[in-house]
Amino acid sequence: MSNGNAGGGLRRFYLIFAIVALVGIGSLGYAVGSKVLGGAVTEPVILEGTDDLRRLTELAVPVVSGEEDAPVTIIVFGDFLCGHCATFSLRIRPLVEAEFVETGQAKLAFYDFPLNPETGTFLAARAARCAGDQGKYWEYHDHLYRTQYTWAMERDKLGFFQSYAEDLDLDSGEFRGCLNSDRHAPEVSANRELAHALGLGGTPSVLVGSGGGMNRRLADYSFETIQAAVHALLGR
Amino acid sequence: MTEAAGGGSAQQPPMNRMVVAVLALLGLLVSLYMLAHAMGLTGEVICGLGDCETVQNSRFAWVGPVPTAAVGTVGYLALMALAILGLQPSIQGSRIVPLGLLLGGVIGVAFSAYLTYLEAFVIHAWCQWCVASALLILLAFLASLPELRRIGGSP
Repeated sequence: MSNGNAGGGLRRFYLIFAIVALVGIGSLGYAVGSKVLGGAVTEPVILEGTDDLRRLTELAVPVVSGEEDAPVTIIVFGDFLCGHCATFSLRIRPLVEAEFVETGQAKLAFYDFPLNPETGTFLAARAARCAGDQGKYWEYHDHLYRTQYTWAMERDKLGFFQSYAEDLDLDSGEFRGCLNSDRHAPEVSANRELAHALGLGGTPSVLVGSGGGMNRRLADYSFETIQAAVHALLGR
Repeated sequence: MTEAAGGGSAQQPPMNRMVVAVLALLGLLVSLYMLAHAMGLTGEVICGLGDCETVQNSRFAWVGPVPTAAVGTVGYLALMALAILGLQPSIQGSRIVPLGLLLGGVIGVAFSAYLTYLEAFVIHAWCQWCVASALLILLAFLASLPELRRIGGSP
């Protein structure tokens, strides 16, 4: 075998090697780049038609606890990094659930209102909804409120929210896939837009209403205030 | 003239080392993809077969503070470098290259076999990329077997 043939063989090898390397590196670059461009959505997305309040109320999707045909609806707009929202969710909501939701007198509709989305509250709202896809919205929701001072300080919020999913025995692969995407970003964005459109300046904002009538915003989120408002709507 | 194991003459670069180099390159790319995922640089792992996320989220995806994929990355990189070095005419006759390729292949196959055992009997989930890596290192090891004849000094 001549040296020329040997050199030619080596050159062919280097050519094939370079092609494989380039294709592989290109694919890796695409995988990393697509995460940067299309990974976990952490801030509100732009929605069409939100200038129209009717359209906005269609786009906004609350998470509802209770019977769909309950006569009264208690609406709560909350932010996962708001201390008063944690108080409402962990202390007041159980009372509301016990007295009105479980008895079928009212249903509770929770709308996300991430006040400062860049602080992780938008991602938290999406994470809770990802947990909801696996039937554990309220468990995750409460977990976020119980630990809000922990994850607020965490830089790797994606990893932290993922660990919460594992704490709640969720399918971690499915949860990661949901969180590392734009899933639920439109609903959370629309809920936030709706809060702004309604002129709600803070959280938690509680409104009550019945049967298609106007919802009335309550002065505070105490159980007594909610109880009085619901009783009034029920004609007591 | 003595025919070199794996085909070719003394001047002809050993074909089996070319095969090992390409297989190690493919393994390196797979390991880099898994490493990028472990470091949070990619989104959901592309996984047509098996349950990659379960495997990648298991405690076996890390060896202490080091992602398991990093071990594979270093291993494949070393194997690839050695195979390419072994193609150079001035180094073809060295005993270090066949020894290194065979030793690297044995360690790689043993490590992959352990990871495959974990997938099958401990994690109870399969990751297509891990299986692909296991197959690649096995093929690289098989392609390294002709090196047995070169350990004695035959090029």
